[in-house]
Amino acid sequence: MPKVKTNRVKYPEGWELIEPTLRELQGKMREAENDSHDGKRKCETLWPIFKIAHQKSRYIFDLYHQRKEISNDLYEFCLDQGYADRNLIAKWKKPGYERLCCLGCMQPRDHNFATTCVCRVPKQLREEKVIECVHCGCRGCASGD
Amino acid sequence: MAHRLLRDHEADGWERSDFPIICESCLGDSPYVRMTRAEYDKECKICTRPFTVFRWRPGRDARYKKTEICQTCSKLKNVCQVCLLDLEYGLPVQVRDTALSIDSNDSIPKSDVNREYFAEEHDRRARAGIDYESSYGKARPNDTILKLQRTTPYYKRNRAHVCSFYIRGECTRGAECPYRHEMPETGELSQQNIKDRYYGVNDPVALKLLGKAGEMATLEAPEDESIKTLYVGGLDARVTEQDLRDHFYAHGEIESVKMVLQRACAFVTYTTREGAEKAAEELSNKLVIKGLRLKLMWGRPQTSKPELDGSDQARQQASVAHSGLLPRAVISQQQNLDQTQGTLFYNNPPPLQQERSYYPSMDPQRMGALISSQDGPPGGPSGSGENKSSLEKQHYAHPMMPPPPGQYHHQYYPPYGYMPPVPPYQQFPPPYNTAVAPSQPAATNYPYQHSTQPGTSQTGSGQAAHAPAETGTSTSGSQHQ
Repeated sequence: MPKVKTNRVKYPEGWELIEPTLRELQGKMREAENDSHDGKRKCETLWPIFKIAHQKSRYIFDLYHQRKEISNDLYEFCLDQGYADRNLIAKWKKPGYERLCCLGCMQPRDHNFATTCVCRVPKQLREEKVIECVHCGCRGCASGD
Repeated sequence: MAHRLLRDHEADGWERSDFPIICESCLGDSPYVRMTRAEYDKECKICTRPFTVFRWRPGRDARYKKTEICQTCSKLKNVCQVCLLDLEYGLPVQVRDTALSIDSNDSIPKSDVNREYFAEEHDRRARAGIDYESSYGKARPNDTILKLQRTTPYYKRNRAHVCSFYIRGECTRGAECPYRHEMPETGELSQQNIKDRYYGVNDPVALKLLGKAGEMATLEAPEDESIKTLYVGGLDARVTEQDLRDHFYAHGEIESVKMVLQRACAFVTYTTREGAEKAAEELSNKLVIKGLRLKLMWGRPQTSKPELDGSDQARQQASVAHSGLLPRAVISQQQNLDQTQGTLFYNNPPPLQQERSYYPSMDPQRMGALISSQDGPPGGPSGSGENKSSLEKQHYAHPMMPPPPGQYHHQYYPPYGYMPPVPPYQQFPPPYNTAVAPSQPAATNYPYQHSTQPGTSQTGSGQAAHAPAETGTSTSGSQHQ
């Protein structure tokens, strides 16, 4: 008997329905990770990572909380396996943060003068209308916009 | 010293400070400024010692600015830490030093360890409170400085830098690009070096300024010997008649000071021609009252009265046409009158007009009310003046109502003629023009009144004036037909 305990993944029911999308998203992420940096700014190279991470979490969040198409089991399973970001989804459940782009943009500790990123400011209150936040490339994640 | 890797702040004597030494332009126009302070963040561009870097955004459309040189270096030359221009005058170091004949260049070493040592010593002395010589506070500004200094902050230098990708045609950021999409300025002035600018050596901007100072045209006396009046432009509400008197009395006896706030200008008349000339010479490019740089020019001569009215009107139209302030519709009907106008500059009094044979007394609208005015057709100037003032005051005009005596406010050059003693000046909006004005909707818009030609039919002028202008407030319907 091998002394090494393996943790074999046991997929809950319903997994087959969401698996293709999740695999596709994972593939996109790998692509983004392996992309070359040519023609992009230093900060810009990381933007696709944040974008795809947001997309993945969004998919699972949507399925469970909005459309209610998967079971709690499956949902927790996805979160545990790292197909979605638990903390980001926790923010999406709060009022005002429904469209939050990433966790860094709303963290005052990460910014000068203890503010949030400019992408959190609603478009009508901003002076520059077109912006891409330097952190994740977000163009505006205030709930109103 | 500067090459040590370990940070021992005290021992090294690296500079710490609590607030930057900066000029108004660099600080920006916004009353709300958030500034970050980073100790020993960068090395000074001149002495290469670490110092406290402050970073802030000077206004809404500005880029972020940060202090470039340390406080020690900035105090040595009394310059702003960011733009390296003098703190009091806003001039480059070279200009200020040549103008004030200060030469501290020899004492400041420029190379390597020598420079660091000097800066440290200086810093140490300053911190210990030992008085070091600073001649900047004591120097009185001389002529050149006064001519060249910046009186208002200049915020254009706070704009974003030019997008270097745009220059190559490759900017892919498009709308969100924070840099300016303009072609860069080329030429001598664009090759500047911070060390040259600081030490006041070989600075292209300074050389240009000094050249300009040398050539600044002094005000030439006009050929007409009877002119004793100087035109002062660029006035503001802050400048009072007393201020003007204070500045001008030293050069000669002032006969009168007439301020035209509407036009942001004033006319100062001397009793003697010599006084006026002396004032012109002394103050020509140096007149700064309450921080406001004022423009000084000779006034224009006055012609005889009948001519005056006619030419006033014509001139007024001309000035109106050329000042660019009026909508074309108003001016268009006057265009044919303006053929003889040369190019008119905004601040210059319009040139003399040909004679027109229109007397104010011929104008049925003239009320002939009394106002202290120049001699002339008794009803005329006063009538028009009053009309005008009434126009100003009320939003509609009563054709039949004699306007109350009031101050004559003019859009353009004042009717100099209002001075009881013989006024040398030509009245710009001809006084009688306003006579017609009352019949038209009054004035929210001054120019319209001016531009109407008394000679033309009222309807014509009415239409012209009304077309662009007001929403037909009041007054005689006949005007509109």
